[in-house]
Formats: sequence, structure tokens, C-alpha cells
Amino acid sequence: MGSVKGCRWKILVAVKQVSSLEEDFEIRADGRDVEPDFLVRDLNEWDEYSLEEAVKIKEAGAEVEVVAVSVGPEVADEALRKCLAKGADRAIRVWEDAVAGSDSIAVARIVAAVARREKADLVFAGVQSSDHSFASTGTAIAGFLDWPHAAVVNQLAYVQGATRAEVRRELEGGVLQLMEVDCPAVFTIQLGINAPRYASLRSIKQAAAKPIETLCLGDIGLSSADAGEAGSLSRVRRMYVSAKGRAQMIDGTPAEQAARLAAIIKKFTGAGA
Amino acid sequence: MARDPKHDVLFQPIQIGPKTLRNRFYQVPHCIGAGSDRPGFQAAHRSLKAEGGWAGINTEYCSIHPESDDTHRLSARLWDAGDVHNLRAMTDHIHQYGALAGVELWYGGAHSPNMESRATPRGPSQYASEFETLTYCKEMDLDDIAQVQQYYVDAALRARDAGFDIVYVYGAHSYLPLQFLSPYYNKRTDQYGGSLENRARFWLEALEKVRNAVGKDCAIATRFAVDTLYGQSGVEVEVDGVKFARLADPLVDLWDIDVGDIAEWGEDAGPSRFYLQGHQVPWTKFIKQVVKKPVLGVGRFTDPEKMTEVVTKGIADIIGAARPSISDPFLPKKIEEGRYDDIRVCIGCNVCISRWEIGGPPMICTQNATAGEEYRRGWHPEKFRKKGSSDSILVVGAGPSGAESARVLMERGYTVHLYDTAAKIGGHVNQLAQLPGLGEWGYHRDYRETQIGKLVKRNKDSQVALGQKPMTVDDALAYGADKIVIATGSSWNTDGTNCLSHEAIPGADASLADQLTPEQVIEGKKKIGKKVLILNADTYFMAPSLAEKLVLAGHEVSLITGVHLANYMHFTLEYPNMMRRLHELHVHVHDHQFASRIEAGRVQVYNIWGDGSKRTYRGPGRPPRDENKSHHWLEFDSLVLVTGRHSHDSLYRQLKARRAEWTKHGVKDVYVIGDAEAPRLIADATFSGQRLAREIEEDNAQLPQPYKREVAKWGVAHLAGENSAVEYKT
Repeated sequence: MGSVKGCRWKILVAVKQVSSLEEDFEIRADGRDVEPDFLVRDLNEWDEYSLEEAVKIKEAGAEVEVVAVSVGPEVADEALRKCLAKGADRAIRVWEDAVAGSDSIAVARIVAAVARREKADLVFAGVQSSDHSFASTGTAIAGFLDWPHAAVVNQLAYVQGATRAEVRRELEGGVLQLMEVDCPAVFTIQLGINAPRYASLRSIKQAAAKPIETLCLGDIGLSSADAGEAGSLSRVRRMYVSAKGRAQMIDGTPAEQAARLAAIIKKFTGAGA
Repeated sequence: MARDPKHDVLFQPIQIGPKTLRNRFYQVPHCIGAGSDRPGFQAAHRSLKAEGGWAGINTEYCSIHPESDDTHRLSARLWDAGDVHNLRAMTDHIHQYGALAGVELWYGGAHSPNMESRATPRGPSQYASEFETLTYCKEMDLDDIAQVQQYYVDAALRARDAGFDIVYVYGAHSYLPLQFLSPYYNKRTDQYGGSLENRARFWLEALEKVRNAVGKDCAIATRFAVDTLYGQSGVEVEVDGVKFARLADPLVDLWDIDVGDIAEWGEDAGPSRFYLQGHQVPWTKFIKQVVKKPVLGVGRFTDPEKMTEVVTKGIADIIGAARPSISDPFLPKKIEEGRYDDIRVCIGCNVCISRWEIGGPPMICTQNATAGEEYRRGWHPEKFRKKGSSDSILVVGAGPSGAESARVLMERGYTVHLYDTAAKIGGHVNQLAQLPGLGEWGYHRDYRETQIGKLVKRNKDSQVALGQKPMTVDDALAYGADKIVIATGSSWNTDGTNCLSHEAIPGADASLADQLTPEQVIEGKKKIGKKVLILNADTYFMAPSLAEKLVLAGHEVSLITGVHLANYMHFTLEYPNMMRRLHELHVHVHDHQFASRIEAGRVQVYNIWGDGSKRTYRGPGRPPRDENKSHHWLEFDSLVLVTGRHSHDSLYRQLKARRAEWTKHGVKDVYVIGDAEAPRLIADATFSGQRLAREIEEDNAQLPQPYKREVAKWGVAHLAGENSAVEYKT
């Protein structure tokens, strides 16, 4: 599966099919994850923004190709189809059984291998995934590629083919940092950098007809030792729900309830002390 | 998800005389426009609630005799075997779901105008009804008293034959037993008047006779207004209220208590504009302290936390509900299953009640568009027919009609894209909910927002696109939808166009600095001067709501109204307190006045009855009445135009104009719903969205399918053995 005809320039967008919990859920029998039946899946929210940022560069430039890549089993196709409906030109999914149990480092190794295979000019990832929240895959991809990177980017000025990008990063306490980054580079994209587009019904229908390229480790020059627990630097020991909730009912008239609520909020936020 | 164990108390059965309620959820008697003459409607509406988990479900008020005939309004009736036959459909259907059926036996006295039967109503004393027009009752003598008490007994026996488990003697809302109890009506000096014991006698005897007749088979209930809210001139709860409750307690199996009278029964069915849920508790809480029998109380209880509080704190044993049961017939089931955020919370707008007040057309509900449509259209509020095609549907506009249509289409399994320029689902409800007292109307939006949020997770191809640029006809055609639903709403006229002249008012222009539409007032971006005039030609709440809002913001407000101000609020029972509110806020109302011309800072008004009363033909171009010379000028800093609304239908009309291109773009059909078709009540806009979503596979789905009608059939007599032919007694 080659590039879109005539495209000379390519942005790889790493995306993840994340999971959220149903109201009721159970922990898997081995105690290391949630039982999959109780998960609701969707494209990671951050990835909507990184995809949009790539599509904006494509629309401003010429002959740019946006390739969405995800590491995951077949259910992840749903997230990739969403990317195709929202402007990605191609989609690649990497999976084989040996990939199961990969941590963010192993996933980054796989994405980096895809980036090399695709000869990508830029790689975008979300700052973090909404389910596991390690915020490390993007920067680890830069490590494997030995490219510069900028994390938590909330503004990006880049013209197709330029050797440098100007980025604005979000730091603690409202502090912003403006940087120039040599390209090729990896950027992890923050929420709010743009307004992700919605897909029309037409583009959803067109995306449903597009192929999704599926690769195994061998296709990208890796082996089972590079993925799964063998290729990871960390392993999940246990997943559990904390024993006690902290909800309490507040009785009284609306005015009394409001006063009590205000007092609790002040106590927890330290406001108005 | 399981329910919170602290709500378990709501699911404990409770004994009422010879019967057992399976839990603490009870639909008190309320009108729907079915009565005994639309038995299918009656059976379906009530039994749906039995399916939804309610333990006891009642008829509306049910007349015991032609002497208590409420025509022009619509009650149930148990006058004869024909009524027994028809109401049997209701009890049979309720029993299928394991709930109890109750009937509220009603005698209205002077409050029933008897316009069909032409009988003379009887009462404790003679008086003119303060509720009905031109209706006096005959003062009862002792024979009359015995006879009317026998009417209750005969009706109770028919009720038992019709399969009812609970039989009421109805003494709330100022109907006959309360007329005897209250010194406001009862001026007698014999053993039925004077002392509390004497005033209670009629009611106690009626209860005893009914109990002796059917008490072994049926639970005996009484509905009692424990305080008529007039102070000493009526019933006060800590005086006559608790005393009567003590006296009657041995004769009843169930107390159904509320407050107020009939002329202002919005003090019982309190609109959310003025009353929070549980608003009656400060009065009703005294009864449980003096009686041994189970007590149920009402107060628009929608929140299981409040309900639990009412039961655990000993205010009542059973949660009575009318409006919350209409808004969500499955309220008990949803609480039982812990599906709290699926509850369609009553917004307290009282549009359901408005239909009875208007005279008894089928009830409607703002939140629940299926209310009243159970039988005739076959609509179940929680169950939907699976989609009839693989069509994908674009809904433009996420207000009441668009959001409802999208929700129901998604429930049916369709792929739906809901599209709006606003950042939030809800359309103009988002604005209305900012008006004084209307915060709870936002529940209409919240329900749809929550449900659609869940539904889009079920179908990844469905989508809610908010904060979008306005959709053009090219966008809509190219969108890729098989069907397009236009729900783009309406807005208030900027040029003064109104229902009186059907023209713009010269000089009216809300783009000027000193004139505003209601939307501009609520939005709050345009500067408003100290002295505000509101020009009104709308018969619902917008003008008084804006007056209240603006006075609270420090403005001096006068209202010029060419139509009966807030007329529809009579029907929603909001009128009395709305008028009190305008009075206490010093809003001056120029009644019967309208505007002929507007200039900077002033408006020319005229008395709408200022032309001549004599009508004479004077030839073409010459009006038949003498010229109206009542015109004069009023000054303002800001003028608010509440003159009328118009549909935003340009996208729909442009799509229709380009019908030739539909096939090329794969568009099969285009529809218009809600205010975009014609401005209307939120309830009717919501209905139009639900209706289209239920019928979208039909040919020409823009127009509703016929519904099942319940009408008397020629040649079939009401009673067995009766002759239906035209005959004269000569």
C-alpha cells in the first residue's frame, strides 16, 4: 500500500482507541484490567485535536498525506475509520497476539517503526490517552526515532516542508513557552489547539469503504521480543476500585443546602479562607 | 445499575384496608381527557403506568350522577352500566400489571355547571360558584342530603362492579364534602352546619355509607384539602384539618391529602414557576401525626431523595404524583433499577393541566410527547419500533423538536447527525430557562441531552455537531444524508408583526438601539434604559416574564397589551400568582391598548375598542365603523416587542426549491418540524419531532398518519336494550 499518488510529504498521526467505563463494571478475573464487556470505546479525545492539526497543515499545503496509525486489535478499526472520516488519507493498524500487554514504550517502538517505514516527515500524538494517562507514548516515539520533540503543544505554526516549526507549549500556572523545533520532529498536541471538525454523513460513508492497512511486527522490522510484556518496561500488577466512596447527602432547606455546599467547596478548594 | 439501598423504603408494600399497594408510588386522580367515553385512551394511559411500576393508579374525577356534570370540561362518569362497561377496560388493563385501580367519586355542587344534563346541582347552602360562571346550587334539605349520599353509595357499587380496588369520596378542590366542611360555603344552622362536628357530618356519613356498601371489597379513600389557604374563613389545617382527620380516620383506609381549593387549584398543582417540589409539606405534615391510616401526599415529587425523605421523616407513607407520572410513566421502574438519569423529570409547566382547563381535549405533556398518544397512535414512551430502513438522517436544529426527533430516531436505530449553531442542545429552552422561575424548564433540554449522549455511544456513526456555522442549502445537499429534517426554530418578530393587524407596525425595528426583541433582552448584550415599555400581542408568558425580569434588574416597566395578557396562564394555573407578582412589582398594565406607530423614544397607542360600536355600510374604501380617535403617545427609554413569532424556514424552503438536485445528492426526502414549521408550544414542537421520528418510513411522512378514533358509533346504543333510533315521545 503506497502513498497517495503524487504525495511527497507525510504526517503520521498516532491514535488510540480508548476505553471508558459503563456505569456498572467488573474487574477481569486476573485482576489486572476491567472486563472488556463493560468498556465503551472511542477515539482518544486528544487524538481528535492532533488529527485536526495535521489535516489543517494538509489543507494549507500541497500534496500532503495524513496517515493515522494505531496499535491495537480489530476493534481499533472504529477509531481509525473516524480518522478517515475526518480527513486522514490512509489508516494503518499494527497488531498480532504478541502485541497484547504492551506498555507505552513498546507501543512507541511500534509507532516509530511505522514512521520509518512510511518515511514520515512529522509525527503527531495526543498529549495523553484518556484511559491510561501515562502521557509518554508521544515523547517515547521521538526517542526511538532520535528526533527532537515538543510536548503539550497548544499552538503550532508550520508550513509544509519547512526545516523548523514554531510551537507554543503549555506549562504550569498559565506559563507558556514559545520554541523553535528542528524538523522532522514529534509533537504531542494539547486539547483546545483547534476546533476538531465533525464528519459529515458523506465522509463517514466514504470512510467505511476505505481499506485499513493491517501490519504485523515482521512487516515493520520488529519481532515479538519488541512488543508485549517482553518489549515493555512496566507491567500492570493489579487494578481495583478504592473501597470507600466519599458521597454524602446534604439535608435542609435549599438555602441551608447551598450554604453547606459552599462551605464544603471552600474547604476543598481553599477559597475564601 | 442497582438502585441506591436508601431508596428501598419506597419499594415496601403497604396495606390499605382489604388491598395491598406493592410499593409507595401512587398516581393520584388526574384528568387526561379520556373519561368514560374514550375507554381505550383511559385503559392505555393508566395501564402504561402500571407497567411502569406504579402501585395504585386512579381515574380522573368521576361523576357519580348527572347532577354532577362538568361539561364543558371532561370528567369520568359512573352513571350507569354503560360507564361500568367502559371503565372496566381500564381496571382490567391495570390489573394485568399487578397494580390497583382507583376511582375518585365526585359530586361538584355549584362548581359543576351541568351544561349537558341541565340538572340542578345541590350544595350545603345556596351560593354562586367562584369558579364556574353563572352557576348557583340549590340548598339541600335533609331529604336532599340523604339522596345525594345515596348517589355516592350507588356509584361505589358500580365502581366495585367495574373492578376498582380503591373507591374515593372526593373532598378536595372544594367539591361537595369540603363544601359542607368549610364555613366559606356552609352557612347552615341545622345539624349539618355550625360546629366542626356538624360541618363534618355530611362527609362522615357519606364515608360510612360507602364503606358499608363496598368496604369489604374495596379500600376506601378520601381526598382532603387539609387547608383551603383562606385563613379563618375556610379550613385551616391545625384547626379543622386535624380535627376532621381524627374524626374520619376510622372510616377511611387511605388518606390522599393536599391543599387549596378549585378556583385557584394551582396552589395544589403548583407550577414550577412559583413552587418547588414538596411545597405542600408545611401544611400536610400535620395529618400523619393524628391519623393511624396510611397517608399519601403530593407536591410534584420527581426526585427519589425527596421522596425518601418524605417517607422516612413521617410526612407521608406514600408518594402521590400526577404530573411526574405523566412526564415519566416509568418513574418507579427507573428508580427501582437505579436508572436515575433516564428519568424524564416533570418541568412543572402545567401544560398537561391546561387542556382540562380549556375544556377537556386530550392531555399533552411538554416532556413526554407520548402522553395521550398511547392508545390512539400506539406510542409507548420507552419502546420503539426498529428502524424501517438503513437511511441516514441529518437533523438541522437541536431545539425541542430537533433534539426529540434525533433522540427517537436514534432509539429506533437510525444513524443520525444532529447539527446546531448553538454550543448546547436545547434551542430556545436555553433562553427560557433563564427567565424568572423557569429554571426547571431546563429539564426538557437535560433529558434530551443526556439520552442523546448515551445514544451516540451506541452508534459510532451518529454524531452531535454543536457550535457549527449556519448550514447552507449547499451544505445540506452535500452532507450525504438520505433524509434531512429541518428543525431550525423560530424567533420573535423584529418589526412588530402581530396577530391583531397581521402587519408590521410602522417604525418598529429591533435593530435600533432603543427597541428589543425578547431574545435580545434575555441575551443581555443590548443596553436597556430605565423606563421600559413592553408591547404585547402574545397570550402566554413572555411579556409578564420579561416584565418581572426587567423590574428585578432595576427598570420601571409598563405593559401595553392588545390581547388578554397571559391568557394561557389561566389554563396552566400560573395566572393568579403571575398577576400578584406584576402587582407587587408595580408593573403598570395598559389593557386593551395596542400600537399604531413607533418613533424614537415614543410609541403611539390606541384603545382597541376605540372605534365606533355601530356598524354601517358606507361603500368601498370607507370603514364601516366610526374612526378610532383614541390615539395618544407614550414615552420610553427602551421598547420590547413581544408581538409575535415567525418560523426560520428558509433552509427548508431552499431545499424544496432545489428538489431537482435531491437524487443527484442521494437525498430522498426533506421534512420540517417544530417552530420552523409554525411557532407553537414546546409540548407541540416536541410532539412534532417525536411524530416524524416514529413515522419517517411512511410515504409523505411530513403529514401525520391517521390515529385510532374513539367516537360513539351510530346504531349502537350506550346501554343494552336501549333503542338508538330517532324517536319522539308524542
